[in-house]
Amino acid sequence: MNSFGPLHAARNTLLALFTLAATLAASPAGAECGEQLPAPTRQLASGDGYQVAFVASAWPVPLGQHFSLDLVVCGPPGAAAAETLRIDADMPAHRHGMNYRASVQDRGGGRFHAEGLMFHMAGRWRLIFDLHSGTQTVRLTHEVVVQ
Amino acid sequence: MSWGATGAAALSGALLALASAATALAQPNRNAAGVLAFTAEEQRQILSHGPWPPAPARDAGNAQASRPAAIALGQALFFETRLSGKANTSCASCHLPARAFTDGRPRALGQAPLERNTPSLWNAVHERWYGWDGAADSLWSQAIRPLLDEREMASSATHLAATIGTDAQLACRYRQVFHADADAADAQRTLVNAAKALGAFTGSLVSGRSAFDAFRDALQRGDRRAVARYPLAAQRGLRLFVGRGQCQVCHAGPMFSNGEFGDTGLPFFSRPGVVDPGRHGGIAALRASPYTLLSDWSDASDEATRIKTRHVLAQPRNFGEFKVPSLRNVADTAPYMHDGQLASLTEVVAHYSTLNLERLHADGEQILKPLHLSPREAADLVAFLRTLSDPGATHWQRRTLPACATRERPGHLPSPGTQAP
Repeated sequence: MNSFGPLHAARNTLLALFTLAATLAASPAGAECGEQLPAPTRQLASGDGYQVAFVASAWPVPLGQHFSLDLVVCGPPGAAAAETLRIDADMPAHRHGMNYRASVQDRGGGRFHAEGLMFHMAGRWRLIFDLHSGTQTVRLTHEVVVQ
Repeated sequence: MSWGATGAAALSGALLALASAATALAQPNRNAAGVLAFTAEEQRQILSHGPWPPAPARDAGNAQASRPAAIALGQALFFETRLSGKANTSCASCHLPARAFTDGRPRALGQAPLERNTPSLWNAVHERWYGWDGAADSLWSQAIRPLLDEREMASSATHLAATIGTDAQLACRYRQVFHADADAADAQRTLVNAAKALGAFTGSLVSGRSAFDAFRDALQRGDRRAVARYPLAAQRGLRLFVGRGQCQVCHAGPMFSNGEFGDTGLPFFSRPGVVDPGRHGGIAALRASPYTLLSDWSDASDEATRIKTRHVLAQPRNFGEFKVPSLRNVADTAPYMHDGQLASLTEVVAHYSTLNLERLHADGEQILKPLHLSPREAADLVAFLRTLSDPGATHWQRRTLPACATRERPGHLPSPGTQAP
Protein backbone atom coordinates (compact mmCIF):
# COMPACT_ATOMS: atom_id res chain seq x y z
CA MET A 1 0.00 0.00 0.00
CA ASN A 2 1.41 3.35 -0.91
CA SER A 3 0.54 6.75 -2.25
CA PHE A 4 2.41 9.77 -3.50
CA GLY A 5 2.44 13.28 -2.17
CA PRO A 6 1.81 16.42 -4.15
CA LEU A 7 3.44 15.36 -7.41
CA HIS A 8 2.32 12.70 -9.76
CA ALA A 9 3.88 9.32 -9.16
CA ALA A 10 5.50 8.88 -12.55
CA ARG A 11 6.93 12.37 -12.56
CA ASN A 12 8.42 11.87 -9.12
CA THR A 13 10.00 8.63 -10.11
CA LEU A 14 11.62 10.22 -13.17
CA LEU A 15 12.89 13.12 -11.09
CA ALA A 16 14.41 10.70 -8.65
CA LEU A 17 16.12 8.72 -11.39
CA PHE A 18 17.71 11.86 -12.79
CA THR A 19 19.16 12.92 -9.46
CA LEU A 20 22.71 11.92 -10.41
CA ALA A 21 24.36 12.63 -7.11
CA ALA A 22 21.95 10.62 -5.10
CA THR A 23 22.89 7.30 -3.63
CA LEU A 24 21.30 5.03 -1.17
CA ALA A 25 23.91 3.89 1.28
CA ALA A 26 21.53 1.53 2.96
CA SER A 27 20.90 -0.63 -0.06
CA PRO A 28 24.08 -1.92 -1.62
CA ALA A 29 23.60 -4.01 -4.73
CA GLY A 30 22.24 -7.43 -3.97
CA ALA A 31 21.65 -6.72 -0.31
CA GLU A 32 18.29 -7.22 1.30
CA CYS A 33 16.91 -4.04 2.79
CA GLY A 34 17.46 -3.96 6.53
CA GLU A 35 19.32 -7.22 6.64
CA GLN A 36 21.34 -5.86 9.54
CA LEU A 37 18.14 -5.77 11.63
CA PRO A 38 17.14 -8.87 13.60
CA ALA A 39 15.35 -11.13 11.13
CA PRO A 40 12.80 -12.84 13.40
CA THR A 41 10.75 -9.70 14.00
CA ARG A 42 11.86 -7.61 11.02
CA GLN A 43 8.98 -6.08 9.10
CA LEU A 44 9.01 -4.58 5.63
CA ALA A 45 6.91 -1.86 4.06
CA SER A 46 7.43 -1.29 0.35
CA GLY A 47 6.10 0.57 -2.65
CA ASP A 48 7.29 2.51 -5.72
CA GLY A 49 10.68 0.94 -5.43
CA TYR A 50 11.19 2.14 -1.88
CA GLN A 51 11.39 -0.06 1.18
CA VAL A 52 11.34 0.56 4.90
CA ALA A 53 12.59 -2.34 7.00
CA PHE A 54 12.04 -2.00 10.71
CA VAL A 55 12.00 -3.77 14.03
CA ALA A 56 9.98 -2.68 17.04
CA SER A 57 11.35 -2.64 20.57
CA ALA A 58 8.58 -5.11 21.43
CA TRP A 59 6.91 -7.52 19.01
CA PRO A 60 4.03 -8.10 18.80
CA VAL A 61 3.51 -4.45 19.57
CA PRO A 62 1.91 -4.37 23.02
CA LEU A 63 -1.35 -2.60 23.71
CA GLY A 64 -1.03 0.66 25.58
CA GLN A 65 2.75 0.74 25.92
CA HIS A 66 5.23 3.05 24.30
CA PHE A 67 7.56 1.42 21.85
CA SER A 68 10.39 2.45 19.54
CA LEU A 69 11.40 1.46 16.03
CA ASP A 70 14.77 0.91 14.41
CA LEU A 71 14.45 1.44 10.68
CA VAL A 72 16.41 1.16 7.47
CA VAL A 73 15.21 3.00 4.38
CA CYS A 74 16.13 1.70 0.94
CA GLY A 75 15.30 3.10 -2.48
CA PRO A 76 15.50 2.07 -6.11
CA PRO A 77 18.92 2.25 -7.78
CA GLY A 78 19.87 5.80 -8.58
CA ALA A 79 17.01 7.32 -6.65
CA ALA A 80 17.48 10.10 -4.16
CA ALA A 81 18.12 9.04 -0.62
CA ALA A 82 15.40 9.90 1.82
CA GLU A 83 16.40 13.15 3.48
CA THR A 84 13.80 12.92 6.17
CA LEU A 85 11.48 10.26 7.49
CA ARG A 86 8.24 11.05 9.25
CA ILE A 87 6.41 8.31 11.12
CA ASP A 88 2.79 8.30 12.21
CA ALA A 89 0.06 5.71 12.71
CA ASP A 90 -3.69 5.56 12.60
CA MET A 91 -6.65 3.23 13.00
CA PRO A 92 -8.57 3.57 9.73
CA ALA A 93 -11.65 1.81 11.10
CA HIS A 94 -11.85 4.22 14.01
CA ARG A 95 -10.67 7.23 12.03
CA HIS A 96 -8.21 8.36 14.63
CA GLY A 97 -4.47 8.37 15.08
CA MET A 98 -2.11 8.05 17.98
CA ASN A 99 -2.23 10.30 21.02
CA TYR A 100 1.55 10.71 20.84
CA ARG A 101 3.85 12.14 18.20
CA ALA A 102 6.78 9.97 17.24
CA SER A 103 10.19 11.57 17.13
CA VAL A 104 12.62 10.34 14.48
CA GLN A 105 16.39 10.45 14.70
CA ASP A 106 18.50 10.15 11.53
CA ARG A 107 21.41 7.88 12.31
CA GLY A 108 23.00 8.14 8.89
CA GLY A 109 23.39 5.64 6.10
CA GLY A 110 19.65 5.26 5.66
CA ARG A 111 19.16 4.23 9.28
CA PHE A 112 16.64 5.90 11.56
CA HIS A 113 15.38 5.48 15.11
CA ALA A 114 11.85 6.46 16.17
CA GLU A 115 10.52 6.86 19.69
CA GLY A 116 7.29 7.80 21.38
CA LEU A 117 4.82 5.61 19.50
CA MET A 118 1.92 4.03 21.36
CA PHE A 119 -1.12 2.10 20.18
CA HIS A 120 -3.78 2.80 22.80
CA MET A 121 -6.50 0.55 21.42
CA ALA A 122 -6.63 -3.03 20.26
CA GLY A 123 -7.30 -3.55 16.58
CA ARG A 124 -5.82 -2.79 13.18
CA TRP A 125 -3.30 0.02 13.13
CA ARG A 126 -1.54 1.39 10.08
CA LEU A 127 2.04 2.55 10.44
CA ILE A 128 2.71 5.42 8.05
CA PHE A 129 6.17 6.21 6.73
CA ASP A 130 6.56 9.43 4.78
CA LEU A 131 9.88 9.56 2.93
CA HIS A 132 10.88 13.04 1.83
CA SER A 133 13.56 13.83 -0.71
CA GLY A 134 13.62 17.26 -2.30
CA THR A 135 10.10 17.90 -3.48
CA GLN A 136 9.23 14.25 -3.53
CA THR A 137 7.24 12.46 -0.89
CA VAL A 138 6.64 8.76 -0.94
CA ARG A 139 4.24 7.25 1.56
CA LEU A 140 4.58 3.64 2.61
CA THR A 141 2.27 1.93 5.06
CA HIS A 142 2.34 -1.25 7.05
CA GLU A 143 -0.55 -2.84 8.93
CA VAL A 144 -0.11 -3.95 12.52
CA VAL A 145 -2.75 -5.83 14.49
CA VAL A 146 -2.68 -5.12 18.22
CA GLN A 147 -4.39 -7.42 20.69
CA MET B 1 -1.58 -8.52 27.98
CA SER B 2 -1.32 -11.90 26.40
CA TRP B 3 -1.56 -15.50 27.40
CA GLY B 4 0.69 -18.26 26.28
CA ALA B 5 0.00 -21.23 24.09
CA THR B 6 -0.11 -23.54 27.10
CA GLY B 7 -2.78 -21.48 28.74
CA ALA B 8 -4.65 -21.28 25.48
CA ALA B 9 -4.57 -25.02 25.02
CA ALA B 10 -5.71 -25.65 28.57
CA LEU B 11 -8.52 -23.20 28.16
CA SER B 12 -9.55 -24.63 24.86
CA GLY B 13 -9.77 -28.06 26.43
CA ALA B 14 -11.78 -26.83 29.33
CA LEU B 15 -14.13 -24.92 27.14
CA LEU B 16 -14.57 -27.82 24.75
CA ALA B 17 -15.73 -29.88 27.68
CA LEU B 18 -18.07 -27.13 28.74
CA ALA B 19 -19.36 -26.76 25.21
CA SER B 20 -20.16 -30.45 24.89
CA ALA B 21 -22.15 -30.35 28.10
CA ALA B 22 -24.06 -27.41 26.74
CA THR B 23 -25.55 -29.44 23.93
CA ALA B 24 -27.72 -31.31 26.43
CA LEU B 25 -29.48 -28.17 27.43
CA ALA B 26 -32.33 -26.38 25.81
CA GLN B 27 -30.74 -22.98 26.39
CA PRO B 28 -28.04 -22.32 23.79
CA ASN B 29 -24.51 -21.41 24.82
CA ARG B 30 -24.99 -22.62 28.34
CA ASN B 31 -23.89 -25.87 29.97
CA ALA B 32 -25.18 -27.86 32.90
CA ALA B 33 -22.88 -26.12 35.34
CA GLY B 34 -24.41 -22.73 34.64
CA VAL B 35 -21.51 -21.45 32.57
CA LEU B 36 -21.78 -19.77 29.21
CA ALA B 37 -19.76 -21.44 26.46
CA PHE B 38 -17.44 -18.54 25.75
CA THR B 39 -15.77 -18.64 22.37
CA ALA B 40 -11.99 -18.69 22.08
CA GLU B 41 -12.01 -15.00 21.18
CA GLU B 42 -14.24 -14.19 24.13
CA GLN B 43 -11.90 -16.12 26.41
CA ARG B 44 -8.93 -14.22 25.07
CA GLN B 45 -10.68 -10.95 25.75
CA ILE B 46 -11.75 -12.02 29.24
CA LEU B 47 -8.25 -13.15 30.21
CA SER B 48 -6.83 -9.83 29.03
CA HIS B 49 -8.54 -8.18 32.01
CA GLY B 50 -6.21 -9.84 34.47
CA PRO B 51 -4.45 -11.09 36.39
CA TRP B 52 -5.12 -8.92 39.38
CA PRO B 53 -3.28 -7.45 41.14
CA PRO B 54 -0.81 -6.56 38.40
CA ALA B 55 2.91 -6.17 38.93
CA PRO B 56 3.61 -3.44 41.49
CA ALA B 57 4.01 0.05 40.12
CA ARG B 58 5.59 3.20 41.56
CA ASP B 59 4.63 6.82 41.36
CA ALA B 60 6.68 8.14 38.41
CA GLY B 61 9.53 10.50 39.16
CA ASN B 62 9.11 10.00 42.90
CA ALA B 63 12.17 8.66 44.69
CA GLN B 64 10.08 8.31 47.86
CA ALA B 65 7.49 6.03 46.27
CA SER B 66 7.07 2.70 48.05
CA ARG B 67 9.13 3.82 51.08
CA PRO B 68 7.19 3.04 54.29
CA ALA B 69 8.28 6.26 56.00
CA ALA B 70 7.10 8.32 53.03
CA ILE B 71 3.79 6.43 52.89
CA ALA B 72 3.32 7.12 56.62
CA LEU B 73 4.02 10.82 56.16
CA GLY B 74 1.72 10.86 53.14
CA GLN B 75 -1.09 9.28 55.15
CA ALA B 76 -0.66 11.86 57.91
CA LEU B 77 -0.74 14.68 55.37
CA PHE B 78 -3.70 13.18 53.51
CA PHE B 79 -5.96 13.53 56.56
CA GLU B 80 -4.51 16.85 57.79
CA THR B 81 -7.00 19.72 57.44
CA ARG B 82 -4.43 22.28 58.61
CA LEU B 83 -2.72 21.98 55.24
CA SER B 84 -5.59 23.95 53.72
CA GLY B 85 -5.57 27.73 53.86
CA LYS B 86 -8.58 27.83 56.17
CA ALA B 87 -7.62 24.67 58.10
CA ASN B 88 -10.96 23.16 57.14
CA THR B 89 -10.24 20.78 54.25
CA SER B 90 -7.99 17.81 53.74
CA CYS B 91 -7.47 15.47 50.80
CA ALA B 92 -9.80 13.09 52.63
CA SER B 93 -12.59 15.68 52.59
CA CYS B 94 -13.23 14.73 48.96
CA HIS B 95 -11.49 11.35 48.83
CA LEU B 96 -13.41 9.57 51.58
CA PRO B 97 -12.11 6.07 52.33
CA ALA B 98 -15.63 4.83 53.12
CA ARG B 99 -16.71 5.88 49.61
CA ALA B 100 -13.83 4.19 47.82
CA PHE B 101 -11.92 7.47 48.03
CA THR B 102 -14.65 9.47 46.30
CA ASP B 103 -17.22 11.80 47.87
CA GLY B 104 -20.52 10.60 46.44
CA ARG B 105 -21.26 14.06 45.03
CA PRO B 106 -21.83 14.73 41.33
CA ARG B 107 -19.25 17.52 41.50
CA ALA B 108 -16.62 18.04 44.15
CA LEU B 109 -16.96 20.71 46.80
CA GLY B 110 -13.86 22.38 48.21
CA GLN B 111 -13.74 25.96 49.38
CA ALA B 112 -16.15 26.49 46.48
CA PRO B 113 -18.15 24.25 44.13
CA LEU B 114 -16.03 22.60 41.45
CA GLU B 115 -16.84 21.43 37.93
CA ARG B 116 -15.81 17.81 38.01
CA ASN B 117 -16.55 14.59 39.82
CA THR B 118 -14.05 13.37 42.43
CA PRO B 119 -12.25 10.32 41.02
CA SER B 120 -11.40 7.34 43.19
CA LEU B 121 -7.79 6.96 44.27
CA TRP B 122 -7.85 3.18 44.22
CA ASN B 123 -5.19 1.83 41.84
CA ALA B 124 -4.23 5.34 40.70
CA VAL B 125 -0.61 4.25 40.64
CA HIS B 126 -1.46 2.09 37.63
CA GLU B 127 -2.76 5.05 35.64
CA ARG B 128 -0.82 7.03 33.05
CA TRP B 129 -2.38 10.48 33.46
CA TYR B 130 -4.12 12.11 36.41
CA GLY B 131 -7.25 14.21 36.58
CA TRP B 132 -10.18 13.90 34.21
CA ASP B 133 -8.17 15.97 31.72
CA GLY B 134 -4.84 14.30 32.37
CA ALA B 135 -3.17 17.56 33.34
CA ALA B 136 -0.69 15.76 35.60
CA ASP B 137 1.75 13.03 34.68
CA SER B 138 2.44 11.67 38.17
CA LEU B 139 0.64 11.22 41.46
CA TRP B 140 2.93 13.69 43.19
CA SER B 141 2.43 16.41 40.62
CA GLN B 142 -1.33 15.79 40.72
CA ALA B 143 -1.27 16.28 44.51
CA ILE B 144 0.09 19.82 44.15
CA ARG B 145 -2.86 21.21 42.20
CA PRO B 146 -5.64 20.75 44.80
CA LEU B 147 -3.31 21.97 47.54
CA LEU B 148 -2.78 25.29 45.78
CA ASP B 149 -6.14 25.70 44.00
CA GLU B 150 -8.12 28.55 45.62
CA ARG B 151 -11.34 26.60 45.19
CA GLU B 152 -10.01 23.40 46.73
CA MET B 153 -7.58 23.58 49.64
CA ALA B 154 -6.44 27.15 49.01
CA SER B 155 -3.05 26.54 50.55
CA SER B 156 0.37 27.85 49.57
CA ALA B 157 3.88 26.49 49.65
CA THR B 158 4.73 28.80 52.53
CA HIS B 159 1.65 27.83 54.54
CA LEU B 160 2.31 24.17 53.93
CA ALA B 161 5.95 24.40 54.98
CA ALA B 162 5.01 26.31 58.13
CA THR B 163 2.28 23.83 59.03
CA ILE B 164 4.55 20.82 58.65
CA GLY B 165 7.51 22.56 60.25
CA THR B 166 5.66 23.60 63.39
CA ASP B 167 3.89 20.32 64.09
CA ALA B 168 6.20 18.03 66.04
CA GLN B 169 4.91 14.78 64.50
CA LEU B 170 4.69 16.04 60.93
CA ALA B 171 8.08 17.70 61.20
CA CYS B 172 9.60 14.52 62.60
CA ARG B 173 8.13 12.35 59.85
CA TYR B 174 9.19 14.84 57.20
CA ARG B 175 12.73 14.79 58.60
CA GLN B 176 12.77 11.00 58.60
CA VAL B 177 11.88 10.88 54.95
CA PHE B 178 13.79 13.80 53.49
CA HIS B 179 16.66 14.20 55.98
CA ALA B 180 15.92 17.88 56.11
CA ASP B 181 13.55 20.20 57.93
CA ALA B 182 10.35 21.45 56.37
CA ASP B 183 11.58 24.91 55.66
CA ALA B 184 9.50 27.97 54.86
CA ALA B 185 12.64 29.52 53.38
CA ASP B 186 12.65 26.74 50.79
CA ALA B 187 8.91 26.38 50.61
CA GLN B 188 8.81 25.15 47.01
CA ARG B 189 11.00 22.20 47.89
CA THR B 190 8.85 21.46 50.94
CA LEU B 191 5.73 21.63 48.77
CA VAL B 192 7.14 19.17 46.26
CA ASN B 193 8.45 16.88 48.99
CA ALA B 194 5.06 16.86 50.71
CA ALA B 195 3.43 16.09 47.37
CA LYS B 196 5.83 13.19 46.89
CA ALA B 197 4.84 11.82 50.30
CA LEU B 198 1.20 12.14 49.25
CA GLY B 199 2.09 10.39 46.00
CA ALA B 200 3.75 7.59 47.94
CA PHE B 201 0.63 7.18 50.08
CA THR B 202 -1.92 7.30 47.27
CA GLY B 203 0.32 5.03 45.23
CA SER B 204 0.01 2.43 47.97
CA LEU B 205 -3.77 2.19 47.49
CA VAL B 206 -4.21 -0.90 45.37
CA SER B 207 -7.56 -2.62 45.77
CA GLY B 208 -8.03 -6.32 46.26
CA ARG B 209 -9.55 -8.96 44.09
CA SER B 210 -13.11 -8.98 42.84
CA ALA B 211 -15.60 -11.69 41.95
CA PHE B 212 -14.62 -11.12 38.32
CA ASP B 213 -10.97 -11.81 39.13
CA ALA B 214 -11.91 -15.12 40.73
CA PHE B 215 -13.96 -16.04 37.66
CA ARG B 216 -11.26 -14.93 35.24
CA ASP B 217 -8.55 -16.95 36.99
CA ALA B 218 -10.82 -19.99 37.26
CA LEU B 219 -11.50 -19.76 33.55
CA GLN B 220 -7.78 -19.62 32.86
CA ARG B 221 -7.02 -22.75 34.87
CA GLY B 222 -10.12 -24.60 33.68
CA ASP B 223 -11.73 -24.86 37.12
CA ARG B 224 -15.34 -25.52 36.16
CA ARG B 225 -16.71 -25.47 39.68
CA ALA B 226 -15.14 -22.11 40.43
CA VAL B 227 -16.22 -20.73 37.08
CA ALA B 228 -19.81 -21.74 37.81
CA ARG B 229 -19.85 -19.60 40.97
CA TYR B 230 -19.88 -16.47 38.82
CA PRO B 231 -23.50 -15.37 38.35
CA LEU B 232 -25.01 -16.09 34.96
CA ALA B 233 -26.28 -12.53 34.64
CA ALA B 234 -22.70 -11.28 35.11
CA GLN B 235 -21.48 -13.78 32.52
CA ARG B 236 -24.02 -12.52 30.03
CA GLY B 237 -23.03 -8.96 30.83
CA LEU B 238 -19.37 -9.86 30.40
CA ARG B 239 -20.14 -11.38 27.01
CA LEU B 240 -21.76 -8.11 25.99
CA PHE B 241 -18.82 -6.14 27.41
CA VAL B 242 -16.20 -7.95 25.34
CA GLY B 243 -18.49 -8.66 22.39
CA ARG B 244 -21.26 -6.63 20.91
CA GLY B 245 -20.77 -3.76 23.31
CA GLN B 246 -17.07 -3.41 22.41
CA CYS B 247 -16.65 -1.75 25.80
CA GLN B 248 -13.16 -3.21 26.12
CA VAL B 249 -11.93 -1.10 23.21
CA CYS B 250 -11.52 1.71 25.72
CA HIS B 251 -11.98 -0.14 29.03
CA ALA B 252 -9.07 -2.48 28.34
CA GLY B 253 -6.72 -4.59 30.38
CA PRO B 254 -6.61 -5.37 34.10
CA MET B 255 -7.51 -1.77 34.95
CA PHE B 256 -10.51 -1.81 32.59
CA SER B 257 -9.12 1.40 31.10
CA ASN B 258 -6.68 2.14 28.30
CA GLY B 259 -5.49 5.13 30.30
CA GLU B 260 -6.33 7.55 27.53
CA PHE B 261 -9.19 9.92 26.71
CA GLY B 262 -12.41 9.87 24.78
CA ASP B 263 -15.55 11.74 23.91
CA THR B 264 -18.64 9.93 25.17
CA GLY B 265 -21.28 12.18 23.69
CA LEU B 266 -22.26 13.81 26.96
CA PRO B 267 -22.83 17.54 27.31
CA PHE B 268 -19.66 19.14 28.63
CA PHE B 269 -20.94 22.50 29.74
CA SER B 270 -19.55 23.00 33.23
CA ARG B 271 -22.16 25.73 33.72
CA PRO B 272 -24.42 27.63 31.32
CA GLY B 273 -22.31 29.05 28.55
CA VAL B 274 -19.04 27.64 29.88
CA VAL B 275 -17.50 24.60 28.23
CA ASP B 276 -15.09 22.23 29.94
CA PRO B 277 -12.36 21.69 27.31
CA GLY B 278 -11.35 18.37 28.85
CA ARG B 279 -8.17 16.83 27.48
CA HIS B 280 -7.49 19.84 25.28
CA GLY B 281 -7.08 22.01 28.36
CA GLY B 282 -5.34 19.20 30.20
CA ILE B 283 -2.48 19.03 27.73
CA ALA B 284 -2.13 22.82 27.82
CA ALA B 285 -2.03 22.73 31.63
CA LEU B 286 0.49 19.90 31.56
CA ARG B 287 2.80 21.86 29.29
CA ALA B 288 2.50 24.94 31.49
CA SER B 289 3.15 23.06 34.72
CA PRO B 290 6.53 23.43 36.43
CA TYR B 291 6.04 20.05 38.12
CA THR B 292 6.03 17.53 35.27
CA LEU B 293 8.31 14.54 34.74
CA LEU B 294 10.35 16.75 32.41
CA SER B 295 11.06 19.24 35.19
CA ASP B 296 13.96 19.39 37.59
CA TRP B 297 11.53 18.51 40.39
CA SER B 298 11.20 15.01 39.03
CA ASP B 299 13.50 12.36 40.47
CA ALA B 300 13.48 10.41 37.22
CA SER B 301 15.88 11.26 34.43
CA ASP B 302 15.38 8.11 32.37
CA GLU B 303 13.67 8.54 29.05
CA ALA B 304 11.30 5.63 29.63
CA THR B 305 9.63 7.50 32.50
CA ARG B 306 9.49 10.79 30.65
CA ILE B 307 8.47 9.53 27.24
CA LYS B 308 4.69 10.02 27.63
CA THR B 309 5.13 13.65 28.64
CA ARG B 310 7.70 14.39 25.95
CA HIS B 311 5.63 12.87 23.14
CA VAL B 312 2.02 13.63 24.09
CA LEU B 313 0.22 15.19 21.15
CA ALA B 314 -2.41 17.94 21.33
CA GLN B 315 -5.10 17.49 18.70
CA PRO B 316 -8.39 19.25 17.90
CA ARG B 317 -10.32 16.13 18.84
CA ASN B 318 -9.04 16.43 22.42
CA PHE B 319 -11.66 19.11 22.99
CA GLY B 320 -14.37 17.53 25.12
CA GLU B 321 -12.42 14.34 25.71
CA PHE B 322 -12.14 13.05 29.26
CA LYS B 323 -10.16 10.24 30.78
CA VAL B 324 -11.43 6.69 30.35
CA PRO B 325 -11.93 5.77 34.00
CA SER B 326 -10.96 2.44 35.44
CA LEU B 327 -14.01 0.27 36.08
CA ARG B 328 -12.50 -1.46 39.09
CA ASN B 329 -14.77 -0.77 42.09
CA VAL B 330 -17.06 1.17 39.78
CA ALA B 331 -20.18 0.17 41.70
CA ASP B 332 -18.76 2.01 44.72
CA THR B 333 -18.01 5.31 42.99
CA ALA B 334 -21.37 6.77 41.91
CA PRO B 335 -22.24 9.21 40.46
CA TYR B 336 -20.51 8.83 37.12
CA MET B 337 -18.79 10.57 34.22
CA HIS B 338 -16.47 13.57 34.43
CA ASP B 339 -19.06 15.79 36.06
CA GLY B 340 -21.22 13.22 37.81
CA GLN B 341 -24.17 13.83 35.52
CA LEU B 342 -25.24 10.17 35.55
CA ALA B 343 -26.40 8.98 38.95
CA SER B 344 -26.18 5.21 38.60
CA LEU B 345 -24.64 2.42 36.59
CA THR B 346 -28.08 1.83 35.12
CA GLU B 347 -28.04 5.38 33.77
CA VAL B 348 -24.53 4.92 32.39
CA VAL B 349 -25.53 1.77 30.52
CA ALA B 350 -28.68 3.49 29.28
CA HIS B 351 -26.51 6.34 27.96
CA TYR B 352 -24.41 3.99 25.85
CA SER B 353 -27.50 2.06 24.80
CA THR B 354 -29.25 5.12 23.41
CA LEU B 355 -26.20 7.17 22.50
CA ASN B 356 -26.92 10.25 20.44
CA LEU B 357 -24.28 10.29 17.72
CA GLU B 358 -25.13 13.90 16.96
CA ARG B 359 -23.56 14.83 20.25
CA LEU B 360 -20.21 13.29 19.48
CA HIS B 361 -17.69 15.93 18.58
CA ALA B 362 -14.54 13.90 18.20
CA ASP B 363 -13.38 15.13 14.81
CA GLY B 364 -14.79 12.25 12.81
CA GLU B 365 -13.65 9.52 15.16
CA GLN B 366 -15.85 6.45 14.83
CA ILE B 367 -15.76 4.27 17.90
CA LEU B 368 -19.03 4.67 19.73
CA LYS B 369 -22.43 3.63 18.45
CA PRO B 370 -25.68 3.09 20.32
CA LEU B 371 -25.86 -0.43 21.73
CA HIS B 372 -29.66 -0.71 21.61
CA LEU B 373 -29.72 -3.04 24.60
CA SER B 374 -32.85 -4.84 25.73
CA PRO B 375 -33.84 -4.29 29.37
CA ARG B 376 -32.38 -7.68 30.28
CA GLU B 377 -29.13 -6.98 28.45
CA ALA B 378 -28.80 -3.64 30.22
CA ALA B 379 -29.39 -5.36 33.56
CA ASP B 380 -26.83 -8.02 32.67
CA LEU B 381 -24.22 -5.39 31.86
CA VAL B 382 -24.85 -3.70 35.20
CA ALA B 383 -24.65 -7.09 36.94
CA PHE B 384 -21.24 -7.63 35.35
CA LEU B 385 -19.99 -4.18 36.34
CA ARG B 386 -20.98 -4.86 39.93
CA THR B 387 -18.65 -7.85 40.03
CA LEU B 388 -15.63 -5.61 39.46
CA SER B 389 -15.59 -4.41 43.07
CA ASP B 390 -13.19 -5.46 45.77
CA PRO B 391 -15.45 -6.03 48.82
CA GLY B 392 -12.86 -4.14 50.85
CA ALA B 393 -12.84 -1.05 48.63
CA THR B 394 -15.14 0.86 50.98
CA HIS B 395 -13.64 -0.49 54.19
CA TRP B 396 -10.10 0.84 54.02
CA GLN B 397 -8.76 1.52 57.49
CA ARG B 398 -6.25 4.20 58.25
CA ARG B 399 -3.06 2.67 59.55
CA THR B 400 -2.23 3.65 63.12
CA LEU B 401 1.12 5.34 62.91
CA PRO B 402 3.54 4.91 65.76
CA ALA B 403 4.73 8.15 67.31
CA CYS B 404 7.63 9.57 65.38
CA ALA B 405 10.86 10.10 67.24
CA THR B 406 14.15 10.94 65.65
CA ARG B 407 17.56 11.28 67.14
CA GLU B 408 18.81 13.21 64.19
CA ARG B 409 19.51 16.88 64.82
CA PRO B 410 18.69 19.21 61.96
CA GLY B 411 22.14 20.79 62.12
CA HIS B 412 23.71 17.46 61.28
CA LEU B 413 21.34 16.51 58.49
CA PRO B 414 22.41 16.02 54.92
CA SER B 415 21.42 18.67 52.45
CA PRO B 416 17.72 19.02 51.52
CA GLY B 417 16.47 16.57 48.99
CA THR B 418 19.01 13.93 49.85
CA GLN B 419 17.36 10.57 49.74
CA ALA B 420 17.31 8.59 52.94
CA PRO B 421 19.08 5.23 52.85
